[in-house]
Amino acid sequence: MLTALAFRNLWRNRRRTLLTLSAMVVSAALLILALGVFSGMIDDMLATTTRLYHGHLVLAAPGYHAHRDLHAHLPEVTAELPALAGIEGRLGSTPRLRAFGLFSVATSSQPVEILGVDPVREPAVTTLHRQLVAGRYLQPGEQGVVIIGSALAKKLGASVGSEVVVVTQAADGSIGNDLLTVRGIFTTGDSRHDGRLAVTSLPWLQHLLVLDGRIHEVTIAIAEPMTAFTVADRLNTVLPAGIAARDWGDILPEMRDAIASFDVSRMIVVGILYFATGLGILNTCFMSVLERTREFGLLLATGMRPWGIRRLVLLETLFLALLGSTAGLLGGFLLTWYMQAIGIDLSGAITPITYAGGTILPRLRAVFEPANFLVPAAMLVAVALFAGFLPANRAARLDPVAALREE
Amino acid sequence: MRGEALYLPLSPYASLLTDANMPLITLSNVYKTYRHGSLEVTALTDFSLEIAEGEFIVLAGPSGSGKTTVLNLVGGLDRPSAGAVTVGALEIASASAAVLADYRLRRVGFIFQSYNLIPVLTAAENAEFTLMLQGVPRPERRRRVTELFIELGIEGLEERRPGDLSGGQQQRVAIARALAAAPGVVLADEPTANLDSHTAEELLDLMRDLNRRRGVTFLFSSHDDRVIGRARRVVRLEDGRMVGDSTTNR
Ligand SMILES: Nc1ncnc2c1ncn2[C@@H]1O[C@H](COP(=O)(O)OP(=O)(O)OP(=O)(O)O)[C@@H](O)[C@H]1O
Ligand SMILES: [Mg+2]
Repeated sequence: MLTALAFRNLWRNRRRTLLTLSAMVVSAALLILALGVFSGMIDDMLATTTRLYHGHLVLAAPGYHAHRDLHAHLPEVTAELPALAGIEGRLGSTPRLRAFGLFSVATSSQPVEILGVDPVREPAVTTLHRQLVAGRYLQPGEQGVVIIGSALAKKLGASVGSEVVVVTQAADGSIGNDLLTVRGIFTTGDSRHDGRLAVTSLPWLQHLLVLDGRIHEVTIAIAEPMTAFTVADRLNTVLPAGIAARDWGDILPEMRDAIASFDVSRMIVVGILYFATGLGILNTCFMSVLERTREFGLLLATGMRPWGIRRLVLLETLFLALLGSTAGLLGGFLLTWYMQAIGIDLSGAITPITYAGGTILPRLRAVFEPANFLVPAAMLVAVALFAGFLPANRAARLDPVAALREE
Repeated sequence: MRGEALYLPLSPYASLLTDANMPLITLSNVYKTYRHGSLEVTALTDFSLEIAEGEFIVLAGPSGSGKTTVLNLVGGLDRPSAGAVTVGALEIASASAAVLADYRLRRVGFIFQSYNLIPVLTAAENAEFTLMLQGVPRPERRRRVTELFIELGIEGLEERRPGDLSGGQQQRVAIARALAAAPGVVLADEPTANLDSHTAEELLDLMRDLNRRRGVTFLFSSHDDRVIGRARRVVRLEDGRMVGDSTTNR
């Protein structure tokens, strides 16, 4: 009966309750949407760098990452290690060889990073093959061809079909030097890739560098990027000596920090918004308690204990909070769903922003992340109970004689 | 369940008494002052009264004479500033808040002048409220309240909200609530003040009837002479002092 009483009390001032409720619902729903869009940006940021180029996990010789040392190479069969097949949610793993050198067309020369890849396995790990704006991607078995970034092409004055001269240092100390034909041009939105990355076939680069059968790294993509840390730890316990697994957080520490700071920013945003909502709830509860002073006197006279009255008022705020957060979750779900399915394209208004090693794409797109729903919903209930506590205490501490004298 | 005997409809207050010859309610040399900052209001001055079980007694007096104060003291809502108030074996002045709350819940029924009922609860739910607080199971609560509604002539109104009841009907629901827990004492503070005189007389006859049949002690206040005239014993107050205590043969 106490539950029924609390619920009905909520509707004594229907308009006030509905107004408070709508404030709660709107703030919760918009918060969920904002966090979803925020997560979408983070997602883009992470995906643009990991899925475009870095992958989520990289196996390499322990010293390779720090200096990109040409001589820190591994056998190509590293890509076939049985431990890799057991990675949960593995999307693909691919061998790579990397060189740094110069590309020249006619009189212009540009520094480049030349990545030798397996054209069959690489597309399972990175999405560069989908970023082509001209020409086509590497074909299996194709030698002497390259795909380059659009900014690099522009600086070189190269287009699809152009021939470029490659100069680099080979592993035996000689100068490696050859001709490549541009097969395709890509645009990623990330200036570092667009301006200096060139992708060619692995055997061709092995031959140029005099590193036949050798690679620098095995790059792995997984379905749940956030599990990369534990996967890397597990791999490191089973990998042979001389091979280390690094996750994207090791490769891109700024990105890891940016994402970790999102958890903090989420709490701050939730806190600020809910402070205002909490004041609204506090006001509603206080008014409804003050209006019922005489009634609480009556309840005390009939033998209800102060904690019973406290419980009654808190139950009322709890109902309000549960209604508000349920409706807020629903609203937030619909808004997030809309922004995930449709989104808003801002490419006409702003250009991509490179931040923490990733790229924030010019679009508003939400992603579903459980915490973006749980945190606002749970915090709303917590805030409401907190706001209900003061009025509940006031009601419980009423002097029945004085309360009954009130008309 | 604790205090099972309390729910028996007959003579439940017998257990309150330590000695059959003792009065049920005793106020001796009671003083009550209220403080509002530096301002002191004396509500009762050297007030003494003894009430035997089963009495039907009215406190009469003008506004501000201290009637409500006496009822609040006897009902355990308030403690005396000086003097002693005892009900059965319970010493109100020294009892803890928890004991007083339990006393109000199980031993006393309150009826006020108006706004007696919780507007969002139905008539039956209002009447059941103290039983609910006592932990009496729902079917048992319903059974007792249905019986009481019949006895009080308000059967069929169980599902109505107080706002849809007349003043007299509301007071009957309040009586049902006061009696539902089968208390030893019913305290009614000007229960008829908001009623027309015909309804007031009917209600008073009903209370008198319940007092006779159930043996419940009724202590109520009034400043309406027609109501006062229907009580056997009339205690008159003025300025917080007793100025008369008369019993007629009625
Ligand atoms: N809680 C309180 N705080 C301050 N003064 C009080 C309080 N309760 C009662 N009084 C004062 O004590 C005196 C007696 O009040 P009480 O309510 O007992 O009178 P009453 O006979 O019931 O009057 P009425 O017929 O108006 O109900 C009055 O002067 C009143 O103002
Ligand atoms: Mg009074």
